[in-house]
Amino acid sequence: MKITDTIRRAGRSLRQAKARTLLTSLAIGVGAFTITLALAAGAGGRQYASDIISSNTDVRELYVQPKMDGGAMDPTKPREYVEGPTMQYGGGYSMKMLSSSDVETLKNIENVIEVTPVYNASALYVTREGQKKYQAGLEPHNSAIKDEILAGSTDGIGDDEVILPSAFAEVLGVPQDDSALGKTIDIVIANTTTGVQKTYVLKVKAVVKSSILSAVGSTTLRTSRDTVADMYAFSMKGTPLETAYIGATVMAKDEASVAGVKKVIEDKGFMAQTAEDLMGFLFQFINVLMGILIGFGALAVVTSVFGIINTQYISVLERTQQIGLMKALGMRRRDVGRLFKFEAAWIGFLGGALGSGAAWLAGTIANPWISDTLSLGDSHLLIFQPLSFVIIIGGLMFVAVASGILPSRKAAKLDPIEALRTE
Amino acid sequence: MIEVKNVTKTYGKKQNVFTALDDVTLSIPEGTSVAILGKSGSGKSTLMHAMSGLDRPEKGEVVIDGENILTLKQKAVDRFRAEKIGFIFQSFFVQGNESVYDNVSMPLEIANVSGSKRKARVEAALEAVELSDKTKNKAKNLSGGQKQRLAIARAIANEPSIIFADEPTGNLDSVTGAKVEELLFGYNRKKGVTLIIVTHDPDLASRCDMVVSIKDGKIESIKQKKATVPQKQTVKRKVVQ
Repeated sequence: MKITDTIRRAGRSLRQAKARTLLTSLAIGVGAFTITLALAAGAGGRQYASDIISSNTDVRELYVQPKMDGGAMDPTKPREYVEGPTMQYGGGYSMKMLSSSDVETLKNIENVIEVTPVYNASALYVTREGQKKYQAGLEPHNSAIKDEILAGSTDGIGDDEVILPSAFAEVLGVPQDDSALGKTIDIVIANTTTGVQKTYVLKVKAVVKSSILSAVGSTTLRTSRDTVADMYAFSMKGTPLETAYIGATVMAKDEASVAGVKKVIEDKGFMAQTAEDLMGFLFQFINVLMGILIGFGALAVVTSVFGIINTQYISVLERTQQIGLMKALGMRRRDVGRLFKFEAAWIGFLGGALGSGAAWLAGTIANPWISDTLSLGDSHLLIFQPLSFVIIIGGLMFVAVASGILPSRKAAKLDPIEALRTE
Repeated sequence: MIEVKNVTKTYGKKQNVFTALDDVTLSIPEGTSVAILGKSGSGKSTLMHAMSGLDRPEKGEVVIDGENILTLKQKAVDRFRAEKIGFIFQSFFVQGNESVYDNVSMPLEIANVSGSKRKARVEAALEAVELSDKTKNKAKNLSGGQKQRLAIARAIANEPSIIFADEPTGNLDSVTGAKVEELLFGYNRKKGVTLIIVTHDPDLASRCDMVVSIKDGKIESIKQKKATVPQKQTVKRKVVQ
């Protein structure tokens, strides 16, 4: 019997038991629905993570921190004191910091073109004439960060200039168009020990859109590296942390030398993270979440396997006579078995198509709402890839055929004489 | 030519053994119409199953066109049935949910007949049984006589050389039964197809060229209308105890 004829007959048999076919495939469809959404969320999550990282980091950058001592992570054991600057927290916890000699060491590594300590500068407040005072952080501007610019330009920032997120522009009464440029912002920094205040008056160089995608963007103003360094030095003056930093950003010469630089830094006793490492860490986290969701889907698929086996067994019983007739007419065992396997495959196909189709529909409808609720902007949390539909439907057809093996074997083994005995 | 040689078929084991066919030997020339006549439980159906390759008796030979089908592999027996044999059953076994066309097409699909030939053969078969106007109807909507005519169309669609009919008129009234008989014998004469009818009805049996009476798994008698059998094909006649 030709394969195409067998497939056609299989489809026809299913159509004759529409309700049963539909219900059986719905069971497998639940699994398909969950797995499709899991894959879409995984793809969306990875896209989101890589968006965040690529818009906030430069691939040539490494983030360097002092190495944590072995016991640092175990809260049940006292930790040994290690020489060097530290930041104290309550409860006996402290965080080691980079000293200026560490920064020098990093600068002298081959292929390193720039080392920027992390200036943990915070303004006491920022304000404009006639406006309220707001808290804000300050960061050096990195040209690798991709912004959605509303006014001005972020290139070549001067020491007396500032890049303003739109959220700040709004509360400080700065228009979000080119008329904002040149308007001044007062940034007041206080010394940690003496409380002496110093006001930096900076001109608006650009207004950028506040977005959840830019990790620094919403609560942080950016100015030149030297200005931030100056603010940090002023606020820490007279404390042991004056020349200590929680970390440093090391810029490698080019993308190819990043791995080599990382190795040298680690050999010198620091922890170094590349943009790729950060991405890998995030991806791993997303993959674990996705794996859990897929697990739930797989559970639904396993349950539906029993449904398929049951349905197909009943179908074989119901059609004993038909099977007997076909075998009497010379249909081979293999073809009888195949007929039932194809029926199972149809059920798998139908379930997969229904489930993943429903998931696609639900996801497409829910996407704008999710983006809105989580303030993702234009990016979507659920990304449906055509390949994942193919894989899901194909995989479920395979599972269905595998569950159809036992019933189809029963059909193939039927004795035509027994099957055609009428009574 | 169908030659059945010393075929024995038993069911059950040891104490409960039941001999359905006991050393049966007969020979059927090509193109003959044969009635296997016997009461229910006489072994007539078992004999039909053995001759058509549905059953495998433990002893003896069934030689059809020079080949012993009992020693063939299952695959070859299946192909033999698909290509050379047509079946007609007492309770029709038409597929009620399928169209008349698809019912007739089934043996052709099984025998791997190509699509283009298939259509012509299905139409010819339906023409022969006068069901051309019902092609698209569901088989379950047909009357009993129409169903059996459909079954005949299905049996002749692949142009078999042997047709087995198991009580073909058993479920029909005498008028429709007569029509079905007419079709079967007409096809037998016109195409020279060997027609083997299993029946308990002596009237139907008497219309055949050859009547094999069977009782308790043994052949009681073989009667022949000599005129219809070509002379060169003398039938080996052996009545076994």
